[in-house]
Amino acid sequence: MGRILIVDDTLFMRTLLKNILFSGGHTIVGEAADGEEGIAKYKELKPDLVTMDVVMPKMNGIESLKGIRQFDPNAKVVMCTAVGQEQMVKLAIKTGARGYIVKPFQAPKVLEEVKNVLAS
Amino acid sequence: MKEVPVKIEQNGAWIGIRLGLEEDHMVIPPPVNRKVAFRDVINLEERKNLLIVTVRGNPETVYRILTVEKVVAIMRRLILTHCNGYRLNAYFLSPAIRGGVLVTDAQWEKGSIVVVRTGIWFASAGKQVCVPLSDVADIELTKKEVQGRQTDVVKIDHVDAGEVVTSFVLCPISTLQVLYNFLTDATKSMEMKGDELDEYDQQVAMLVYSGMDSSAIINMLSLNNKRLNAIYDKLINLGIAEVVEVRREVKLTTKGIKYIADATKQ
Repeated sequence: MGRILIVDDTLFMRTLLKNILFSGGHTIVGEAADGEEGIAKYKELKPDLVTMDVVMPKMNGIESLKGIRQFDPNAKVVMCTAVGQEQMVKLAIKTGARGYIVKPFQAPKVLEEVKNVLAS
Repeated sequence: MKEVPVKIEQNGAWIGIRLGLEEDHMVIPPPVNRKVAFRDVINLEERKNLLIVTVRGNPETVYRILTVEKVVAIMRRLILTHCNGYRLNAYFLSPAIRGGVLVTDAQWEKGSIVVVRTGIWFASAGKQVCVPLSDVADIELTKKEVQGRQTDVVKIDHVDAGEVVTSFVLCPISTLQVLYNFLTDATKSMEMKGDELDEYDQQVAMLVYSGMDSSAIINMLSLNNKRLNAIYDKLINLGIAEVVEVRREVKLTTKGIKYIADATKQ
């Protein structure tokens, strides 16, 4: 089970992910509503894994992923994308994302992906 | 002619026979005693090791054939190659996304798309996948990056074993448009105007999709039970949700309260 940071600009998505991850036995150590806050929270909390929305205000998920990886090259980040954002997914892979979930998502699959990434 | 062991349903009973298979037809021996040209097959359904083959005629004839996976695969390939359905050569990626998670080893396969009465078949030399039309949740003509280029594709969302699976079809745009129109027409009953649900209804639907139960939804959206039930009724009446379980809330009777009070004394 992991200590997880959720980065997403919508409260609804954060709450949904929090519930899903909590039901899988994970601990939610923090939440952030944009990419900048995501980096700051990562440095402060040093979570085992981050779920990162791609499209966010101020700083998007890709930039935030870069910032986190600069601070910790081994950071485990799972990107949350919408269908049709293949370009973003590709960029995220190059930037070092470890996993991807596509919205809308189903709880068992999210937990499976998080488990795989935590084990990697 | 190759002969394969199958069981065929006749008058409610399963009869073991040796079915004759040729490239373009099958021969069902007595007591059925019929030669079926695959070009006359107008529908093909598969449920585990059961093939349901509908043959045109007046009236139509339905054969239910039970056999081992290897024979199912051979029959499926032969029937799909010749049957009477809307067929187009295409590349397909299925499944590309399962339950919101990208299938990382998914690859484009060259083959054909065969649309029959109750389903869409993705068929290549080594793989045949059926999506029943009744399980299609969404069809969209969209763009997807293929080999570095934004390419027109048809995206099909369907439900498989309780999970939402996304598949993509790639072929010339004119053919894609025909496929899209065909599928849209075939799944018309699933369409909604788009303004039936307000923000709360949509959020509840999204949470149900994600696997949240009633108590989680109540906590997440700060709803009361009555409001949630009203939203559920709306979703059910629109045909986008169904009841799977009815829970009860109870309170203790005087006898129950006494029992608990006594139990805590011990």
